[in-house]
Amino acid sequence: MIDVKDLVVSYGTATALDHVTLTVGRGEMVALLGPNGAGKSTLANTLAGLLRPAAGTVGIGGRLALIPEGRQLFPDLSVADNLALGGWRSGLRDPSSVYGLLPRLAELAGRQAGVLSGGEQQMVAFGRALMSRPEVLVVDELSLGLAPNVTADLAGHLAELNREQGLTVLLIEQNARLAFDLCGRAYVLESGRVVAEGECAELAGDPRVASAYLGGAIT
Amino acid sequence: MIRLVAGLLVAAVTLALPAVLDDSALAVYILLGLAAMVTVGVSLLMGYAGQVSLGQGAFYAVGAYTAALLSLHGVPPLAGLIAAPVVAAASALVIGVPLLRLRGHHLAFATLAMQLILLSLAGQLEVTGGDIGLQAIPQFSVGSFEAGGASAYAYLTWIGLALVMLVTRNVITSRPGRALRALATSETAAASSGIPVGRYKLVVFALSAAFAGLAGGIYCFYTGYVAPGSFPVLISIQYIVMAVVGGLGTIWGAVVGATAITLLVQGLNSLAALPGMPSYAPGVLSYAVYALVLILVVLFLPRGLLPAVSGRVNRDRRGMIHR
Amino acid sequence: MSAFLTYLLNGLAVGCAVALIASGLVVIHRVTGVVNFAQGTFAVVAGLCTSSLLGLGFPHGLSELAAVLVAALAGLLTGLAAIGRRGTTPLSSLIVTLGVGVLAYAVEIVLWGDQPRSAPGLAGSVTLAGARVQTQHLLVIGVTAAAFALLALFFGRTYLGKALTACASNPYAARVVGIDTRLMGLLAFALGGLLGGIAGVLVTPLRPISFDTDVTLIVNAFAAAVFGALTRPVITLAGALLLGVAETMAAGYGYGSHQLEVALGLMIVVMIVQASRRSAISQEQT
Repeated sequence: MIDVKDLVVSYGTATALDHVTLTVGRGEMVALLGPNGAGKSTLANTLAGLLRPAAGTVGIGGRLALIPEGRQLFPDLSVADNLALGGWRSGLRDPSSVYGLLPRLAELAGRQAGVLSGGEQQMVAFGRALMSRPEVLVVDELSLGLAPNVTADLAGHLAELNREQGLTVLLIEQNARLAFDLCGRAYVLESGRVVAEGECAELAGDPRVASAYLGGAIT
Repeated sequence: MIRLVAGLLVAAVTLALPAVLDDSALAVYILLGLAAMVTVGVSLLMGYAGQVSLGQGAFYAVGAYTAALLSLHGVPPLAGLIAAPVVAAASALVIGVPLLRLRGHHLAFATLAMQLILLSLAGQLEVTGGDIGLQAIPQFSVGSFEAGGASAYAYLTWIGLALVMLVTRNVITSRPGRALRALATSETAAASSGIPVGRYKLVVFALSAAFAGLAGGIYCFYTGYVAPGSFPVLISIQYIVMAVVGGLGTIWGAVVGATAITLLVQGLNSLAALPGMPSYAPGVLSYAVYALVLILVVLFLPRGLLPAVSGRVNRDRRGMIHR
Repeated sequence: MSAFLTYLLNGLAVGCAVALIASGLVVIHRVTGVVNFAQGTFAVVAGLCTSSLLGLGFPHGLSELAAVLVAALAGLLTGLAAIGRRGTTPLSSLIVTLGVGVLAYAVEIVLWGDQPRSAPGLAGSVTLAGARVQTQHLLVIGVTAAAFALLALFFGRTYLGKALTACASNPYAARVVGIDTRLMGLLAFALGGLLGGIAGVLVTPLRPISFDTDVTLIVNAFAAAVFGALTRPVITLAGALLLGVAETMAAGYGYGSHQLEVALGLMIVVMIVQASRRSAISQEQT
């Protein structure tokens, strides 16, 4: 579903992604780990078609939606309008299918998106992405700034969609424990390069990955 | 060494030209020099303080009216000419204190408003002669030497321009000048590195006004009259076109821009004066030239003609209009 | 008292025309971040077009409609120049629209000459509470009210309007959901042209228009838009009406010669007050 080969992306003279190769199969749920500034969001934006590659190829096998880092809602618009605009590409205007999946959003429908809590905003961003009827979902920092129970709730919905509807997911996370819990495989990105990849079980056993992403303050 | 030779060559040609040009060519030569003088200031303001002034013509007018009023009231022309940039700079300081709190399009409109207000006032006040303006301004003279012909004004103009360029060079190579460069790209960054942003901006604003004032002073002696109609809004836009064409923040660029635009417009004017051309041709052609040159240069040569041609562009000068 | 009412309605009519131009300025600025200096030009183009079309014998209604559409097209072309090229900063775009305004001078002089032109509007006058008011003034007020109501419906109720608001609210997010922000920007420019065009068509019967009327129009419209910080249409409308009434009252009661200075001075003061409220950092990000 996602097939990235030798991808190079640069901002002016700074290279953000340096020959990155990555694949995500249909129905797979894959994690992308890495510290701040590793190029994770650059990859997400490139997959979403917002940045142009300097070299290499990006193949996407179906409709792709991005939940961007920091939610990126339309703060002046209502939740319902935010969701409706999520259907810009798919033509879906009525958010009731999303309300069925995330009933909390139906309660928030009339509220202005900018005044919601972080968890609620992430749920709106999630719902907005679903409005485009995606076959591939790229989630950039699902857990960032959210309370653990909120993260767990959203992660549960994500796993359910993957399991029941075969939604392909690329989960970009700093929280490696969460990523390893949800995903089968993972890539580790550092300074724009893939430095490790493999089954999550193997990677969790890799002492370098373990010390960088599973030790210390990560909960 | 090459630069010195080139400089001497330019100086020699500049000095030789008034002797060989006829009166109508001299008129172009003088107006070119005056436009270059104002443009150096505009380029400094846009390139170094990162601010657009759509009202530079106002300071040109202040200089012209100052020199005209003083010499009409019996003050020696030399004193009038010296007063022109001083009064222009002083008014820029007074106006600049509140105005320079604005940035970007707000400042652009505020400076435009300033010029419109000034022109409207000059057209209504009795002391400035209303819409008719001031006539019979005496010839420029120093002691017993009186500037009779156009060539004397040509020398005066180009001496003035040399002075303006010299001052600008000293300003931008000074330590505050280098700090100013930071201002154009990011005011916040400049402020956080301890540069007194407000004061520097004000100084550059006043300096650019002084240059415009000096040009206005020479202009009033050369033409012998000033009126609100001599300083339309378009004149301020013309200086921006010249500065943008030459390359913002470059001294020679301002001169090259002023020369290129003046000669282009002049060439088209003589074309428009050919028999069979409609009477509106000169106006239409010069509007079209200003407009197209401005649009094309901003979009396709944002660093200006001179840097693009000479290729000696520092990377930090990229996107000068960027804010 | 009846003189007061006449001045008030005249002033409201003048303010309405300014408000229409200013609302175009606001729409374009909200969606693209660009202040469109050529906004007054659209009104001039539409006004001159109407006068020509009526002169050629086309009927009322059709002539005005065609003129407004020409202005919308002019808006679209201005947008193409100002934001069509990737990576043009808002301030560079401002300078480009300045260039477009000057270019329009050349075109307008070739097509219409440099003398002011007028066009017949609604003839006659009505008496309201003892005050005689030209029917055209009432038309201006009515059309402006309708235009603002439609504008509010468009942005508040339609999907496309919400997409435009989304571009203003968060351009990055708009691109994430697949909205082509440049296309939306061009649409905003066309809408700005349309609004300017309506103003031009309405105002030409009241005061003759020439190629360089655009400077007064844009400066007054910008002054009104500044009241609403270039983003809020309702405050912009209020600002424009205030300006229109104040200028007409000043002229009517004999202080007419200084109305421009007063309006412009007021605009500068409002801007400076607004600027001193905002910090340098937040402003640099806009």
